[in-house]
Amino acid sequence: MATLRELELRLKSVKNIEKITKSMKMIASTKLAKAQRAMQSGKEYGLANSEIFQHTIAEEKDASKKKLVIVVSSDKGLCGGIHSSVSKFTRRALGQTGGEEPTIDPESPIAVIGDKSKAQIQRVLSKNLTLTFNQIGRDVPTFADAASVADLIQKSDVKYDSIVLVHNKFVSAISYEPTSVEVPNEAQLKESAGFRSYEMEDDVTKDLAEFVLANAIYSALAEAHACEISARRNAMDNASKNAGDMIGALTMQYNRGRQAAITNELVDIITGASAL
Amino acid sequence: MSATWRSVFTYNKYAQITARAVRNSLKETERVAAEKRGLTTVRYQHWENGVGGQQTVLNPELEKAPGKPAV
Repeated sequence: MATLRELELRLKSVKNIEKITKSMKMIASTKLAKAQRAMQSGKEYGLANSEIFQHTIAEEKDASKKKLVIVVSSDKGLCGGIHSSVSKFTRRALGQTGGEEPTIDPESPIAVIGDKSKAQIQRVLSKNLTLTFNQIGRDVPTFADAASVADLIQKSDVKYDSIVLVHNKFVSAISYEPTSVEVPNEAQLKESAGFRSYEMEDDVTKDLAEFVLANAIYSALAEAHACEISARRNAMDNASKNAGDMIGALTMQYNRGRQAAITNELVDIITGASAL
Repeated sequence: MSATWRSVFTYNKYAQITARAVRNSLKETERVAAEKRGLTTVRYQHWENGVGGQQTVLNPELEKAPGKPAV
């Protein structure tokens, strides 16, 4: 049973925490509307991509193809399980969580967008890391961000046959789940049946491969941003509720303690008075 | 005759340059709104064998050290 002084201090600090989490929840709620609108328009880019792939890429599940994994998350925390969900998905795909067959070659290079996931992946798969990016996700991601990321990946000498984009899918305002999207590279596009039958020029195919990558990254970034904000809103909502419960319990304890102290003093006074 | 820019930079960089030209040619009010869509403050880092390299900024002229907002 802590002293009254300690209880008072604890009560004050929990009240402050509740104020902070409440304001963070408000901020996240206001940001969510904008992020969701950006996600809707950003998804169109991803849909354009899948249209192209539907008509060109044949279904070849070849596990020996060299794949580059891009993990999309962000730099800020306090958003629930966003970063660990994509990191876990990646680790599971590469066979790092014991007991499951890897769906991707465990030696695949990994590029990470976002500091939080970078730290998590670095702990387990640091040999696979090739490129990391940060300072994305503070505000709604722009196509310029996605184009810069795609540019840097192409300029670096990472060899890959296709790219796997791991990000969080926005299922609803209270739930999300990690998914992956596959993006072929220039050579794969060239060899696909659709492209060959149209005699596409090499220059145009190269441009398309680069643009398709930027598209996919942009769509993933927009969706991940919306997921993160909604997760932060939910996390701060839960935190505020928990803080409110704690404040109730602590206030009860404090009042009981206070009344016990008063009762003791009264008893002392009365026994002292009766002794006279 | 294929364009000569392909040997210098990627299509994405080409698109960003043309987009910047279009944005700069807009009317003042629209231009201010469009400028935000062209902003990127990405930093990157190459990794070798589990060791990170230098953190480099892509657009150093945009680093004006603004205050960090709360989440």
